[in-house]
This record gives sequence, structure tokens and C-alpha cells, in this order.
Amino acid sequence: MASVELQRLTKRYGGVAVVDNVSLVIEHGHLVCLLGPSGCGKTTTLRLIAGFVEPSEGEIRVGDRLVSSPAQTLPPERRNMSMIFQSYALWPHMTVAENIIYGLKLRKLDRATIGKKLEAILASTRLTSLAERYPGELSGGQQQRVALARALIVEPETLLLDEPLSNLDANLREEMRFEVRRLHDTYRYTTVYVTHDQSEAMTTADLIAVMNAGRIEQVGSPEEIYNHPRSEFVARFIGSSNVIKGIGLDAEHVEFSGVPLRCAGEPIRPGASVPVSIRPHDIAISATEPAVHENVVSAIVMRGAFLGGHRDYMVETKDGTQLRVVTSAAERLAEGSTVWLRLPPQRCRALTG
Amino acid sequence: MTALASSAPAERRRFAVDLSLPVLLLFATVLCLLIALPLSWLLIYAFSDKNGAITLENFHRLLSDAAYLDPLLVTFALASLSALIACVVAAPMAWLVARTDMPLRRTVRLLVTASFVTPPFLGAIAWELLAAPNSGLLNQLYRELAGLPEDAYLLNIYSFAGLVFVVSCYTFPYVFVLVANALDRTPGDLEDASAILGAKTWHTAWRVTLPLALPAMLAGALVAFLQAMTLFGSPAILAMPAGFHTMTTKIWSLFQFPPRPELAAAASLPLLILTVILLRAENNVLGRRSYAVVGARNSEPRVIRLGVWRWVMLACALAVLTCPVFLPYFALLNASFSRVASHLVWFDNFTLQNIRFVFHELSATQLALRNTFVLGSLAATIGTILALVIAYVTARQAVVGHRLLGFLATAPVAIPGIVLGVGLFFSYARPPFLLYGTLWILLIAFLTLSLPAAYQQLQSAFRAVHPELEDASRILGATRLRTLWKITTPLLRNNVIATWCFIFVAVIRELSAAIMLFTSETKVLSVLIYDLNESGDLAAIAVLGLLMLVITFCIVALANSLRFGGRRLPRAG
Repeated sequence: MASVELQRLTKRYGGVAVVDNVSLVIEHGHLVCLLGPSGCGKTTTLRLIAGFVEPSEGEIRVGDRLVSSPAQTLPPERRNMSMIFQSYALWPHMTVAENIIYGLKLRKLDRATIGKKLEAILASTRLTSLAERYPGELSGGQQQRVALARALIVEPETLLLDEPLSNLDANLREEMRFEVRRLHDTYRYTTVYVTHDQSEAMTTADLIAVMNAGRIEQVGSPEEIYNHPRSEFVARFIGSSNVIKGIGLDAEHVEFSGVPLRCAGEPIRPGASVPVSIRPHDIAISATEPAVHENVVSAIVMRGAFLGGHRDYMVETKDGTQLRVVTSAAERLAEGSTVWLRLPPQRCRALTG
Repeated sequence: MTALASSAPAERRRFAVDLSLPVLLLFATVLCLLIALPLSWLLIYAFSDKNGAITLENFHRLLSDAAYLDPLLVTFALASLSALIACVVAAPMAWLVARTDMPLRRTVRLLVTASFVTPPFLGAIAWELLAAPNSGLLNQLYRELAGLPEDAYLLNIYSFAGLVFVVSCYTFPYVFVLVANALDRTPGDLEDASAILGAKTWHTAWRVTLPLALPAMLAGALVAFLQAMTLFGSPAILAMPAGFHTMTTKIWSLFQFPPRPELAAAASLPLLILTVILLRAENNVLGRRSYAVVGARNSEPRVIRLGVWRWVMLACALAVLTCPVFLPYFALLNASFSRVASHLVWFDNFTLQNIRFVFHELSATQLALRNTFVLGSLAATIGTILALVIAYVTARQAVVGHRLLGFLATAPVAIPGIVLGVGLFFSYARPPFLLYGTLWILLIAFLTLSLPAAYQQLQSAFRAVHPELEDASRILGATRLRTLWKITTPLLRNNVIATWCFIFVAVIRELSAAIMLFTSETKVLSVLIYDLNESGDLAAIAVLGLLMLVITFCIVALANSLRFGGRRLPRAG
């Protein structure tokens, strides 16, 4: 059963489509990440799902009921959703405990039940000792956990998270990624998670929807998105691939820098300009010309950097294309020297999307 | 769970539209009535003759008759001079308290605040006590010291110079506050950056600090100009006995016998137009200043060490503050407890008779106090609610057309008190709204005059409350109204109380609109003081003036303690 379904959802502000014809099906109990650069419309999409924004076109269904359409929008308070905000939005005039039980009080639960639920959620978010503090007296990570507890305690049908980790420092952020996933595995709410951080999306999501300029570019599991990017944007945004310009030769080959290159992926149209993605660490580099000639291109080392665990080179092929190559730390190459790059055919993905 | 969302969304939506449109219409109508009605009548009167026919004759009279042209020139000279003096005096003082190690900086700031909240007409009366040619305390002292005869005097406050001096005393705080705030908010980094590049302290102050504060000073000068131009009390007290008029006193005199309302209306228009122009200019000046506040604000500015000079500077600052604070307050205190207002209090003439007289014998006191408190509380309560709703609507863009509401709520800022008084007189001294002679007309005047500042205060308060705080409440199941009540209102409580206090204080000290609208039954404290001055009862004035100051200081202190004592919002966001 689809739990949340967006159908041709569009939101325009003064004629500009911020969310443009977005369709997405989120299965019950799944965690979907909306991933994209800032300004790509992912937060607006989330606020459309929450009901803070009314769609210009299209509709949103939760279960089998229509909650948003241009004609009628169910207000946020009646959607049985929870949301975690980028600013956490903890109410500064209430204690941690008061913040957390706010939603339960609105649901008119009796005091005993509220007390029991509060205790349980405080324990599972490790906040028990902080219950009587005010939000202003908590660290960023603690505030984050209060926001989580407040959202989870009402047992929502759908949980929405808007860049929930972006205000934390790097270490804490890494820790909280796994925490979010752990809590999701425990409670299994249908969850929509907005982020611009691809590793956050990779760690937490069942399904990633990559967004760009108001549209969804590609939807898939983290593996699919990473290994089989369908567009240049997705290839560059996820894992910062090199994208080179090739000219189609036949269904499997393009010409690049004067050399035929065998590619995987969709069939190639001869004569067409075809972008091909290859990841920096998939390129094999050698100072001597290799014996096998298939998919080998010569290039000149422009600059290199030693990064401890690996080395990072920028090389330039004869036609002027610059490629990033990541090698083991042992591979030392002088700047200006000629090198040979082997681009493994199964790693070269022709992008037709 | 589904039960929560069972009722039809369409019904809900229709409800929302039905609610927001009437709200907008109701408030827009109220605001239009408050602003558009008096201004329309003002225009109609200005362009018509005694019989109601359309004419430009009024303006012709205004520009050709010296009786009207002179006040225009006097007003312009008065406003320019006092703006200039305010800048020359206030800007260095602001720099001293914001950037140097001069002692007693906090005290100096407090004393400037004191002169800020002193009603200018009270200052003018106090200076009458000090520098009237014959009875003035300073002139008496001068004669005593120099051994001169009875008719000699050093200072004559009933003169153009005297007027400029007294007006400047109470306009310089505008420049001071704006410049000091600008300097407080200018990050010290900007000065450190200049110093690290090799600039000497004074070079940095001249090339970096001063230019950064310049827009604030210009804006302050414009506000000072505006205040001096639209003031009624001080010129009425000091200029009219000396036999000359400013625009405001001229407008007022056109309502005395024989009344010439058309001319008064025509004379009001230049004031109105100039105010609009000056406010636009101030906006432009301050609008470009934003670069001064961009960037990290956490870096403390480096304090400039003045060495021995710091005591000299302190002496200068205190000498400046003598004029608006020490001397006038002393004169008022002295007059309150002296048998003769113009004599220094000593053991032989100390008396509490004046206080007894004001509270027990002067029948007008009780009435004026009651009127003032009723009007103050009503205007403050209604004004706060009005401003709160409009600020919510505009800050959260809750209904279509919120911009119009915001504009209407800010518009009265461009209407000088006396002009509004004239307009309201025209509007409500005739059917269908016969309010002249009641407290209602004064309530309308005070509401209109205090709405812009109240609205701006609350709007910036709303902006400081992150909208996600409200969103979080709604997604957890609270309606918009419940969210307002449980989340927004508690967060804004201090701002609401501060706004209430602000309006209350503004109402107590308002004179220029009240003077056009009062009747014997609707006198307020400020009008009573002005009336007593006409009859020369300076001792009673001193007592009432001190009472007014005490009330004002208490309320200002309350509002300030709330503003700075509030709980902090979380850092995130």
C-alpha cells in the first residue's frame, strides 16, 4: 500500500515553478530522502506534504485520502504527521518535558498515559536527566534529540524531517545519521527526509529521490543512484563523477579524445553527443603505456595532492578535458608527466536520461 | 487516526477564506476611518472658501501675507538650527559613550534617556523658570553676582535664540540614540582591520568609524528637524510671548477667535508634505546603512583610551546634560517646594502648600488625571491589540492584501500631531460623527498617533519569532488560533507589555493634537499644564510636571526591565 503519493505536484510562486511536476510514491514504512542542492525545491515539496503550502497543480494522497489539491488542502494540524525542523523549533518558554508532551495534550490523552509515554521516549532518546531544562540551556545535539522525541511521541502516520542534522557539528552529525536510521528501524513510520548531504541520504534512506530545479531527476535505492546515474546532474551530484563528452560511434562505443571508448548503460545513438560518467577512483592510472589498449587514453598530469589515505590528481587529455583521478597513496606522479588512463568499460556509464 | 481527518477539507477551506476576508476588511476600514477621514477633510477645507466653493485663495494668502509667510520661515530656521546643534552636540557624545573609556558612560546614557522622555513643553516651562528676563533664577543669580539693577538680565528665553536652545535640548537625544546604536552595532573587526593595516587610532576613527556612523547621524538630523518643525508646546510657551509664531502656533491661533479653519487647513498641508518628504529621505539614508550591521557582531569594539582627557570629556558631557536635565529638573523641584516659584527654596520659604493646592484645591487636577489615565489605558490597550493583529497578519502574510494593512498602519507616522488635530476637528465636530467635546475624539487622536510605532515594534518582534516555532505546533495538531494562544503570545508577552507602556507614555505627554481637541470637560494632564502656564501658575505646573515625569520614568523602567530580562531563544536557526 502506498502511504504517501505525490501526483504531478507543482508549486509556483509568481509564475516561477519551485516544484515542477513532481510525482513520487512512498511505500508504507519506508524512509525516502529528497536529495538536492539548496534551492532545488526539496523543502517546498516537504512543506507541501505537511500542508503548510497549497499546491498550484497536482495532488497529494496519504493512504487512500486526498489531503492536498489546488481546490482543497487539509490543514497541517489534521494530517496526523510530525515534522522535525531545521531550526528544531523548540519552544523556548517550555521545558523539555513540556515541549515533548505538547502533541499528546492536544490529543487529550489522560495524565497517566502521557507520563508513561514521556518516560519511555525520554529514555530512548537519552534525555531523562534533562526533562526540566529549558531549550536555551541545551547543546545542539540535545536540542536535536528533544525535537526527535517531540515528533515521535505522537506516533504519527508520517514523519517529515527538514535538514535535521545541518546545525550539528561534523562528528555529531555522523553519529546522528545512524541514530535516525536506528529510530526508523524501531518505529517504522513512513518518513520523508530532506537533505543536501549525499552521505546523509546514503546512510539513512531506503529510497533516494534526487531533485534539481524543482524536478525529480532520478529515484532509486542508494546503490542504484550511485552505480547507475541516469543524468549528468545525478552523476556529478552523487560521488562527484567526471562527466566527459563523447560522440556516439555505435550502440556500445563513443569516441573520446580520439580513442573509441566502450561504455555500459543505455544503448548509444551513433553520431549523438553523449555524456559519459566515470568516478575518480574507478580510473586506473599508470606512468607507462599499458599492454591492453581498450579504453586507454593518454593524458598529462596537471597537479596532484597527497591526502594521507590516497592521492588526488587532476589530469588533462589531448582534447583538453580535465579529469579527477584518485589513486593509492603509493602512486607518485610528477606534474607535467605523461600518463595513461584506463577507463574500465563497465564503469563508463553513458548518460541518456 | 483517520477520525482526526474525517471531516471534509473543502468545508475547512471555505471557513478559512470567510474568516480572513472580513478580518482584512474590518481592519482596513478602521484604519481608513482613522487616517483617511481627517486627511480628506483637511484637503477639502484647504481648497474651499468660507461658503464651500473650490478655491486656491487660501494658499495665495499663505504665501503672500507676511503674517503667514514669516512663521514658515521661522519654522524652517528653527528646525534647521536645532538639527544642526543636535548633530554637533550629540554625535561626539555618542562616540564618547560607545567607543572610549570615558568614565560614567552608562550614567551619561541614562541621563540622555531622561531628556528623551522629558516632554519638550515641560522643558520649555522649566527654562522659563530659569531664564525669564526678570524672574529667571539664572538672571537673578547674574544680577546678584554682577551687582546690577533690577531690569538687567543675561538671558532672555522669550526669543528666537532661546527657542532654538530649548528645542535643541530635547531633539539632540534623537541623534544621540541613532548614532550610539549604530556604533554599538558596528563590529570592532572593522576598526581592527584598519589598525592591523597600520592606521593610527585617530586615523581609524576618522576614516572608518565616522563614515560608518554618518548615515545614522544624517537620519538623526532629519528626525530632529522633523521634531522641531512639528513641535507645538515649546514655541507656544516661548515664541508667542515674544511676539512671533511658528507654523504650529500659527495653525493653533487660526482656531482662536475669529476662527479661520480654511487657512488653518491650508497651513497644515506644508507641514504634512514636508514630513512625508523627510521620512522618505530618512528611509533612504538608513536603508543604505545595512552594510554597517552585516557580519559578526560578537567582536567587542576596541575601547579608545583618552588618558587624562577622559575627565575633560566627562565634564563636557555633563555640561551638555546640564541644559536638558539638571537645571530644568532643579528648577521644577525648586518651584514645587517654594512659596514663590521664582525664589530659591530655603528654610524660611519651604512649603508643601503647592502640592496641597494641586491635589486638593485645584478642581481640574482630579479630572485631568482621570482623563489622562482613562485615555492612556484605553489607547494603550486598543492600540496594542490593533498593532498585534496587524503585525501578525503582515509578518506571517496570513491574508491576501496584508501589505495594504501594513501601509495603513504606518501611514500616521507622517502626520504631525497638530495637523491630525486639525483634521480630526473637521471630521468629528459635525454630523454624522459628533465626537467633539467627548473623550472619544482624543482617544482616536492618540490611537492614530501611536499606532505606527506600536506596529513597528510588534512587527519586528514577530520577525524575531521563527515561523517554524508556529509550524511545529500546527503539525503536532494545534489549530492556528490555538498556536497563537499557546506559542506565539507567550513568546511575545514582554514585547506586548513594552508596547503597551510605550503607547501609555506617548499619550501622557501628547500636547499638540490634544490642544486642538480638548474642551473643559476633556482636559488631560498635558493640556492642564499648558493652561496653567497661560495663567502663570508656575508652582502648580512644577508639581504636575514632576508627577508626569515620575509616572513616565516608572513605566519606562518597567518596559526596559522586561525587554532585557526575557528568556533567550535557542541559538539554532
